[in-house]
This record gives sequence, C-alpha cells and structure tokens, in this order.
Amino acid sequence: MNLFKSPRRLHVNGVAIWAPRLPGWDSARAILSGSAAAPATPATRPSPELLPPNERRRAPDTVSLALEVALAACRNADLAPASLSCVFSSTHGDLAITDYMCTTLASAPAQLSPTRFHNSVHNAAAGYWTIGANCARPYTAITAGAHSFGAGFLEASAQALSSGENILFVSYDIDARGPLATMAQSSGLLSAAVIVGPQRGPRTVADLDMTLHAADGLVASRARAGNAALVAGNASESCLPFMEAIALGGARDILCLAGPNLGLTLSLRPI
Amino acid sequence: MNPTQSPLERDVAAMIVSTLNLETVAPEQIDPGAPLFGTGLGLDSIDALELALEISKRYGFQLRSDDEDNRRIFASLTNLTAHIEKNRVK
Amino acid sequence: MAGVQPPRITAFTATCAAGSGRAELLRALRTDLSGLRTNDFGREPLATCIGRVSGVEGAALPAPFARFDCRNNRLAWLGIQRDGFLDAVHAARDRYGAERVALVLGTSTASVGATEEAYERLTPAGEFPEDLRRPEVHTPHSTAAFLQHILGLHSLAITVATACSSSAKAFAQGARLLELGIADAVIVGGVDSLCGSVLFGFNSLALISRDPCRPFDAARSGINIGEAAAFALLERSGSGPSLSGCGESSDAHHMSAPHPAGRGARQAMTAALNRAGAEPGEVGYINLHGTASVMNDEIEARAIAEMFPAATHASSTKGWTGHTLGAAGALEAVISLLSLESGFMPGNLNARELDAACGPQIRLASATGRLRYAMSNSFGFGGSNCVLLFAADPAA
Repeated sequence: MNLFKSPRRLHVNGVAIWAPRLPGWDSARAILSGSAAAPATPATRPSPELLPPNERRRAPDTVSLALEVALAACRNADLAPASLSCVFSSTHGDLAITDYMCTTLASAPAQLSPTRFHNSVHNAAAGYWTIGANCARPYTAITAGAHSFGAGFLEASAQALSSGENILFVSYDIDARGPLATMAQSSGLLSAAVIVGPQRGPRTVADLDMTLHAADGLVASRARAGNAALVAGNASESCLPFMEAIALGGARDILCLAGPNLGLTLSLRPI
Repeated sequence: MNPTQSPLERDVAAMIVSTLNLETVAPEQIDPGAPLFGTGLGLDSIDALELALEISKRYGFQLRSDDEDNRRIFASLTNLTAHIEKNRVK
Repeated sequence: MAGVQPPRITAFTATCAAGSGRAELLRALRTDLSGLRTNDFGREPLATCIGRVSGVEGAALPAPFARFDCRNNRLAWLGIQRDGFLDAVHAARDRYGAERVALVLGTSTASVGATEEAYERLTPAGEFPEDLRRPEVHTPHSTAAFLQHILGLHSLAITVATACSSSAKAFAQGARLLELGIADAVIVGGVDSLCGSVLFGFNSLALISRDPCRPFDAARSGINIGEAAAFALLERSGSGPSLSGCGESSDAHHMSAPHPAGRGARQAMTAALNRAGAEPGEVGYINLHGTASVMNDEIEARAIAEMFPAATHASSTKGWTGHTLGAAGALEAVISLLSLESGFMPGNLNARELDAACGPQIRLASATGRLRYAMSNSFGFGGSNCVLLFAADPAA
C-alpha cells in the first residue's frame, strides 16, 4: 500500500558526493555516467574549509568528510549554508572514535580525551556543520542501520514537505577500525548530499516524485557494477544508485529502502 | 623575533602543538610570554582539559579544572612551564 | 503547516531511577524522593552519583530476541511494558495495521555499553568474545531495531541521536510523520543506559559532580548521569493531552558548551509557543533542562527570567533522575504530562540556595494548580535544542 496518500512532488536542488575514487561531484558525474574513468590513485581525505581553525584541527574524519560534501552541495545548489535546516545520517557513526573510546575505557578510562568524547556523539558532523556555517536552523542526526540513506532521505523529504523549505540531507560512513570492524563493517570513506525542496531552486537538477510502500521482499535498485565497485564495502553505499541516476540524467525510478520492508521510490524527471 | 624558549619550554611547546593538533604553528614559534587562551594562541576550555590530561600522563601530576590559579598557570608558555617544573614527578 | 490538528498523546510511560512507571515516578516527585545514589556501576566506579534503574540485570529478553540482549535493550523492554503501553501499541497495530505504526527513538548511548564490554573481554587473538559476536547490538540503531522486531512493526523505524535533545526531537519528528500521513500512530521515546562512555566522557569534560546534582543551586558542581526508558504514543485523534507545539533550533556555537546568550534556547522556546499559538503566561509549568552544569543552568535561568512572567512555575527534575541524556527529552516530556494531568508541579530537588541568575519562576518547592500548558526543554551537545509544549486534554 502507498503510505503517502498520493505521490509527493519535490525537487532535487543540488547534490554532492565524495569518496576517494569519486572526489567531488564534477568528476563523479563524469565517472558515474561513464564519460570518464575513476582516478587510479584514490584521493586522501578532504579538509573542511568552512570550519574556523580551532574547530578544524579537532574535526575527526567523519566531520571533514561530511562537511566537504555539505558545502559542495550548497555551492552546487547556489544556496547559502546558513539558510538550510539539515538531516545528517550515518549507519555506524564515527567508527574510529568508537574504537578509540572502547580501547581507552578498557585500559585507562580516566585518560579519555575530552575532545574525542565530544566528537563521539552521533550528531558531531551536524553540530560542526552548523558551527562552521553559522546556521541556527534546526538539524537532526539519524540512523536506521543498513537503511540509513533511505530513511534519512525520507526524513529530509518529510521536513521539506512540512516546512515548505529546502532541506540539506547528508549521509556518510567511514572505515571501521580495530576489533569492532568485524561487527560494524564498513570500508573507505563515502559521503553524499542531496538538497530537496518543494520548489525549484537556482540550479535544480531534477524533479522528483516520491512514493512510499510497505511490502516484504523488496529489492533495492543497484548501481552499475563498475560504479558500485568504487564504493563497495562502505556502510553508506546504498546512496550510489540514486547518485548515479542523477549523474546519468533523464527519467529514472530508483527504489531505496527506508527500512527492511519499506520502499521509497524516487522517480526522477528531467527539468 | 620571539624571545628564546628554555629547553623545558621547548618541550612543553612541542607538547601543546602535538596534543592540540595545531596545524599552523610550529613549537619554536610560540612566544613564551604571549597568552595561550583567548587571544594569542587562541586556545579554549576544551584545549585546557586536553593539556591537563597530557600533562598528567607525561609529567605525572594532576591539574585541577577548578583550581583558582588556573588563569595564572595557563596565562603563557612560561607560566605553564614553570608550574610543570615545580610539580612534575616524572 | 497551517490548519493541522496537534497530535494527541494517547498513552505514555517512563522508567527511571526515581520510579518504574508513572505511579511510582509521580509518588517520588510528590515526596521529594530522589532516585540518585552513589555510583556503583562498572569495574572501577567513578566517584559520583548516578540514576540507576533497578532490575535491569535480571530482565533477560524473550528468547527469540536474545541476539539483541544488552543493557539498553533490556531497559527498553522493561520500560515499554509498564502502564499498559505495550497493550496500547498492540491495539494501535491492530487498528491501523503494522505498516501504519512508526517508531522514532531517541538515544545517545544506544548499546555502546555492550561494545565496551567486548573490548574489555577480547580473546587472546584480539577478537570479540563469542557471546558478544552479535552485530545487532554494536551499532547505534540497535534499540530501535530491537523494538521494531519485538513490537512487530513494518513501518518506518528510525533512531534520532542528537545527544541530550534526541528524544525530545523524536516527538517533533513523530508529529511530522502523522501530519504527512506516513503513519497513523507513532511510538516516540528515548532509551539511554549507564555505560563507561558517558560516565568517563562527561568526566573528561569536568562536567560531573561527585555529589548528588543540584540544578540551579548557586553552589552546583556538575551533572549526574542517569538512565531511563520513556515512551509516548502519538495519534491524530483520541483522548489525552496534545503536543501543541515543538520548537527546534541550533546554537551554532560550540560542540560542548552552550551559546552564552542562550540564543538557540530562546529561539526554540519562542518557536514552540508560536506553533501552539500560546502566550508565555499561559504556560503553567516548565520542566527545565537544568543539568546542574555551571553553564547550562545560568544561561537557561536568564532566558526563563526574561521570557516568562513571575507566576510561571519552572524546575529541573534531574535532582530526582539524573541527566538521562538521549532519554531525557522523553522522560521529562512524561514528567511534564504527569504535571498536566495531576496539577502537581515539582520543585527543584537538591537545590538549597538558587543561583542569582534565577528569576522568580524557578522554584525550590513544589506546588499544585490547574495547568493549561506544560513545556519541556532539552538542550544538547552540538547545540541542538528542542522544546515541547503540551496542552491539557480539554475533556479531562
């Protein structure tokens, strides 16, 4: 059954992505659409230019990554960072810090770093973003396990429909470290951002009709094999089919899972 | 040209730079008499806690976050180094 | 959105150190019976006081869900069975269908305590011990996923993790799902449990007090960590109080210190009032964030003094429960709802002499009265603020 009473219309007003072999949307669009090869040498982690020096030196990998992509999405959309409410989603959060916290707690708990502790909250990326962007709009930070991209996209869309405004959605996951890596699996760095709104913006990329269905046995859309390989193993890799569809352009329907039995169909239409 | 740092001041300066990941300052560039917090190096209260933690690991004594003397202790590299010299057990 | 009816809260419950279930909790509030005790949690307990829920250790999960076993999920299961809440969930599921009942759960700890334990007991090869090789618990979505399974829900189940505002934001998020027709009922709530990460983490920030916390006291010395599980059922119609306004904002200032002028806090309170079409003077009781940290309380006290008339009764209840972090929003929403329902307004337990920044609104002693609105404040790490405004059931 369709959980939205009727399909909902939104607009994709900006996108961005970063992975070591998809370093930025301009190159990613060419790579994902097949008109360029992925770089042979992976790029190293980005450095967040939006943060003041005091915060930049403290920012963990998840923050650097997510902020790079958030800023790029705003620039691509020609929308001011301070003007956007945002939704950040991550499957596992900062796995490097979780490994650090648990290792330190097991050996010398009184020597826990205060900086790393305040960086360990799931909303660290969102918090740093609002600080760097001087954005007083509300933000949220969510997870829905393996369905974090779909659930986050749904939440951002719900906020856009409810508020009538553009919403910045950023998903990210990093590589797992230490003993935790066998339980919370993720490799590499990957972040994707989408700005959705109920009206077209200055640089709208596509129109978007959304439906939401509850059903068993749903199978999410897949990206092309060569593209999927570029981010394979990252806990947020389910962002790629949608990002690839944007890169390819044209009318495409992408099924994203927002839950084990919850399908979010994103029907992209060229403008 | 900054006044020269004593050997211990140089060690403490290096500790500050590495502990706080100061990307734009080299240890020998820290003016020993200049403020560390607020202006000068521009450190904040979280940095003070990180430094206190590192100092306790390296020099074996505890800086208390509620010590009334903290303003003075943390006022400059010279002050901090003098305090470490006086209290270190390692 | 204009013209949307505020959601009704048709069921609610809370379990925390001060009481398991509404009756016990209200009794503790009425009799000034704090749930705080000397910290006895962990191998080498930090010198502090905590809000610990009794009975969690002995409360194993039903066998089919053993793979989700950990303190946070046990606490969630214990909590959701109180006050007929589970029956209310089942009734909603039967009435609307399992794909129409959503879950929005706030947490900051999730089940990280189980991951901590795994690291304490690594095998000689450096791997997780056999009994903890359960990926279900070693991820922040652990508790929401557990609840979705055990409640038999097939709709959206999402975890909100924005530190101390998490489970207040869950209410706002749930209201939106109802508004958009994505769900017909939403379980909103919060569960956080005691673990090394939060005890030693807040300790590293010098925010923990050795003594029972004293919100708004002139001589307060920091927070006590508590654990709790609290839930509410939101529906478009029905009987019960309503969630008449939510206000959310960001401080955009610092990860672990609030905006010095309380900018975000004020914005969120104003937004909640505006959304409800309510005047500050109509709010009978405010459950303050009031963590007993030096900074939060001063900033919050000033904001209250400037925004509300002297007749408003405001207090923090963290002297009863400790700071339950990701669960605080939902726990204190429940306390605000108990206030609305009973007319009982708690005082500010453990404070002896109020900070000079406090206006006449912040009360040492409890009081009773007829309330039209109750407000609950949650201000979190990373500058995330959420204020909830509840209106009494006009039929009650």
